[in-house]
Amino acid sequence: MATTMPFKLITPTKVVFDGVAELVIAVTTEGEEGILPSHAPFLAALKPGVLRANVVTEGKTERLELATAAGFLQALPDRVTALVDSAFTFEEIDVTKTREELDAATERQKTAADSAAAAREQVVIDLANAKLRLTGH
Amino acid sequence: MPSVKDLRDRIRSLKNTQQITKAMKQVAAAKIRRAEIAQKQSRPYADALGEMLLDLMRAVTSVDHPFMKEGASGAPSGVILMTADKGLAGAFNSNVIRAGELYRADHKNAQFYTVGIKARNAVRRLGMPDHPTWVLNAPSKLEVAREVARCVTEDFVTGKIGNITLISSKFVSMLSQRPEVRKLVPIIRSEIVGTDASETPKGAVEFAPSPEFVLSQLLPKYLEFTIYSAMLETDAAFFAAQLLAMNNATDNATKLIDELTIKMNNARQAAITKELLEIVGAAEALS
Repeated sequence: MATTMPFKLITPTKVVFDGVAELVIAVTTEGEEGILPSHAPFLAALKPGVLRANVVTEGKTERLELATAAGFLQALPDRVTALVDSAFTFEEIDVTKTREELDAATERQKTAADSAAAAREQVVIDLANAKLRLTGH
Repeated sequence: MPSVKDLRDRIRSLKNTQQITKAMKQVAAAKIRRAEIAQKQSRPYADALGEMLLDLMRAVTSVDHPFMKEGASGAPSGVILMTADKGLAGAFNSNVIRAGELYRADHKNAQFYTVGIKARNAVRRLGMPDHPTWVLNAPSKLEVAREVARCVTEDFVTGKIGNITLISSKFVSMLSQRPEVRKLVPIIRSEIVGTDASETPKGAVEFAPSPEFVLSQLLPKYLEFTIYSAMLETDAAFFAAQLLAMNNATDNATKLIDELTIKMNNARQAAITKELLEIVGAAEALS
């Protein structure tokens, strides 16, 4: 049985990762989901959260960790694709700025006019929280 | 007959204009490359999204999502009219705007949403001064696409508009861009799955939590992304049109300069001949 599978992480503006992985763990709306090779066909909606994968580059296994916005995860027996609105690596995250975004969104949510606007702010809050979690804050 | 000086001035001014058009041509050539790269980078997302949508549509027989149902009956059409922000690109913007006007002639009271300054101005001239509008050339096109999608979705769900149609430019080739009218919502299931009934659902796909839920998340994304990729295409098509227009302008300027130069030489020669004749005439009269 194959121990690795092709894995792609795609945002509308670029392909963030395209390679092989041994394991992909993503936060779906139902909770964390781990995908190993030869997984049954599976399609889930992703929440903003930290996406982890054990990726293999040049024979070595490395840990890939990214803070991702909402999206979708598709697993097929021979490949895994994650589609997200945006993805950030550890280096790309500015902690102070993220904190500010988080505070601003929390404030806006308190004064939100309707539930739809509050839900929109919640998306921002969740992504900011995921970014902070990734950076260990 | 214009004097030598007049002609020389006109040639000089033409040369200046030619330099500007030449520079704009080069800028457009550089920008088109960037626009094409942006377009290329969005393609993997488009492919994956399309594939997921297909999987979902096959798995789901009836969907209770507003996008899959006919809009409020009797409600006017919603039209997203998309052009570039700037001109100087031949008939690029006016072709799209004309398509919008034609659409409006068929669909009375159509509610317009515009992306791009040229579209905004045109729709304002049509007598809709305060329709929702965005610029094309924003720092983040994705943000704009999200805003547009949210705005039209809200109006569609609340029954203000009965469908969502997009009129934008299609990048056929470097030499040809043409306006395209696409109906985005309601989404017709058979158009995505195809009418080919022999294609049974491949493999039992597991959905978390349910296909209906995933689809309800995916459809708004699909609309958002379609608008985004239309923006990228408009961008690329605009620069292609501008490249062509500026190329023609430079060529025309060269032709005009050649013609005027010949005219100027003639005029100069005529002046010299006239002077010589006068001198000869005067010398003869004196002798």
